[in-house]
Amino acid sequence: MALLTAPASSVRPDARVRPGGRLAARARSTPGRLTGFMLLLVVLGLLSGIAAVVGIMQRSALVDEVRHGSGPLTIQAQELYRSLSDADATAASAFLSGGVEPTALRQRYQDDVAAASAALAAVTAGAGTDRTLVSQLSAQLPVYTGLVDTARTYNRLGIPLGAAYLREASGLMRTQLLPAAQGLYRSERGRLAGDVSGGAAFPWLAVPLLLVTLAGLVLAARYLTRRTQRLLNVGLLVAMGAALVMLMWTTVSWIAVQGDLDRARTSGSEQVDRLASARIAALTARADEALTLVARGSGGDFDKDFNQQLTTLVGDRGLLGDAAGQPGDPAVRSALSAAAAQAGVWRDAHKNLRAQDTGGDYPAAVKLAISSGPGSTADAFNHLDKDLANGIDAASADFDRQARAAADGFTLAAPGLVVLTLLVLAGVVAGLQQRIAEYR
Amino acid sequence: MNRRVLTAALGAVVVLLAGCSAGRQPSPAASTFPAARPLGVQDPAVIPSSSAGPAQTCNPRASLRPPSTLPAAGQMPAGSTMQRIQQNGLLRVGVDQNTFLFGYRNPASGQIEGFDIDVAKEVAKAIFGSPDKVQLIAITSAQRIPYIQDNKVDIVARTMTITCDRLQQVNFSSVYYQAGQRVLTSRSSPAKSMDDLGGKKVCAVAGSTSIVNIATYKSKPIPVSVPDWTDCVVLLQQGQVDAISTDDAILAGMADQDPNLQLVGPKFTEEPYGMAISKNSPDFVRFVNGVLERMRGDGTLRDINARWLKGNAPPVPSAEYQD
Repeated sequence: MALLTAPASSVRPDARVRPGGRLAARARSTPGRLTGFMLLLVVLGLLSGIAAVVGIMQRSALVDEVRHGSGPLTIQAQELYRSLSDADATAASAFLSGGVEPTALRQRYQDDVAAASAALAAVTAGAGTDRTLVSQLSAQLPVYTGLVDTARTYNRLGIPLGAAYLREASGLMRTQLLPAAQGLYRSERGRLAGDVSGGAAFPWLAVPLLLVTLAGLVLAARYLTRRTQRLLNVGLLVAMGAALVMLMWTTVSWIAVQGDLDRARTSGSEQVDRLASARIAALTARADEALTLVARGSGGDFDKDFNQQLTTLVGDRGLLGDAAGQPGDPAVRSALSAAAAQAGVWRDAHKNLRAQDTGGDYPAAVKLAISSGPGSTADAFNHLDKDLANGIDAASADFDRQARAAADGFTLAAPGLVVLTLLVLAGVVAGLQQRIAEYR
Repeated sequence: MNRRVLTAALGAVVVLLAGCSAGRQPSPAASTFPAARPLGVQDPAVIPSSSAGPAQTCNPRASLRPPSTLPAAGQMPAGSTMQRIQQNGLLRVGVDQNTFLFGYRNPASGQIEGFDIDVAKEVAKAIFGSPDKVQLIAITSAQRIPYIQDNKVDIVARTMTITCDRLQQVNFSSVYYQAGQRVLTSRSSPAKSMDDLGGKKVCAVAGSTSIVNIATYKSKPIPVSVPDWTDCVVLLQQGQVDAISTDDAILAGMADQDPNLQLVGPKFTEEPYGMAISKNSPDFVRFVNGVLERMRGDGTLRDINARWLKGNAPPVPSAEYQD
């Protein structure tokens, strides 16, 4: 403390000789120190204000992206994947009905192809989409529909070759189109997860800067109190108050948004992901069931795959059990328990169907697979598919709700923080300028 | 006016060119994506080294001699296998539902039809007096012998080649159809037999004797295997293989589905087809041989042959008996 009041020349004799000597001497005087403090605090206040405002704008933009960008795109990619699986299952079921396929199934197949094309177009428009996968899907989807239509034509003519074309179409779907669609879905899902975690990230720059600013303001106030014997400096007090509010606002909004986004992830997007996987497993199993019958006795591999898909669905640690163990919306839970029950009904109906087929009564097995009414696998599958669709809708709605709540957490944050920053700066300048002026 | 059109056209070209140069990286050409193929194709096929058929150690054509007179329909001798079948009310026949012309389910009617089915119905007619007293049970190739051994069917009529190996496990009727391996190719193909297919892709079903015969043929074709016969036709239609080679009976069914395909070259193997019956029922084997003998005599077998195979129908084989 003695040094602070000592004449500048006694501290550093050589200071006078150097060209900057006078400036250095002034800086060590009390008004010089106050000016230094002021500049430092202004820079700190400005930096933390910018960090807080830019940070909140970035995170707010990420949450907006979750709601309007990567979120909807993930749903589109999932819709692409689902509609392709559905086309596979529907084409096989329609084939089973013989020459003239039911209008409803034909319509469903055409809707699937239309939905897949629309979803592909939507996903293509998204930034950062894998171009190779998109062009693969664009190139091979028409090949797939061509094969299915060749299969239909032969089937109408009563020529067994139709079944081989259907198997080839299904092979193309399963080995090329579905993996490509899954790749697109995965990358969109990854981007969504990145946006969610970015939006929920702790403001690592703004909070420490604000703490340093606050500490600086406290030190400056203490120094002034000692120097000037005055207890309060209104300017610094206002600056401190404003900085404190900024710190709290930044932290509290982070806690709220992070909580909302966490719920959006656990009870929303992750549940949607599980349910969508479950739905695709069910669709694949349905296609397997139909293709086993289409293959007429040489479809053992398809039947093996059917059992594998059902195990994925309702086996130990299956998707439905896994989803039921997660926190979530009551609507999702009721859809899940309904789906699990339907999967059981389907499994029993399928066993009955297989028994008919292996017992040599093929027409009875086909009837079980395509007719409606109790005991038919078509009914059980359709109910299961509807339950899973309901679950996906409910979980998506939950996700939207939480993401909207997260977005609300940023309401007014940017302009509010700008105003508070200006208050900090004004307080510092006003408070210190007044004291500096007293030394002149 | 002309000038204006020209200017507009030039403008359009400029815009197009600008669009091209400003565009993104071009997408990869569609040809970089693999062609659609049936599931489970092996190209070239993996042939197990030990799968070459063993040399015949017996005369597979020789079956049990039929009785001089057959019992009248509906009056099967007491204690015989035929009486047991008669009491069951239906003849259980293991059949194919996927081989056109021999045993396949007609998508329009939902019924299994074909050469094998008609022959089996003649056996039912001899037992019951009605050809419709049959229960057709669709089975795979691999199920043929187990279904006989486990008594799940009374008889198998399913494009089954009589071999000495199989004779160790089941009994066979006399030969009712003489098949042999031939080649099916496009009418536009220059290949006229297996000899012209060296280095070309030739399709057959995985695990069949046909695929082994292709792999070991002296002109060295490239074997391509698929899970199902119809998959071969798809590959041939799409130009992914050059020919198909298997029993002419099966090839005839394929040629019938596409008028652009034709059978070429001579038979280069002998595949005598017989109906399989349990080793415990020699009386039933003799009875069936009696039925076949009658069918040879009254032209029924020739008619069935002509009904399904039309222009490709080979002569009806004569029976051989060990005694």
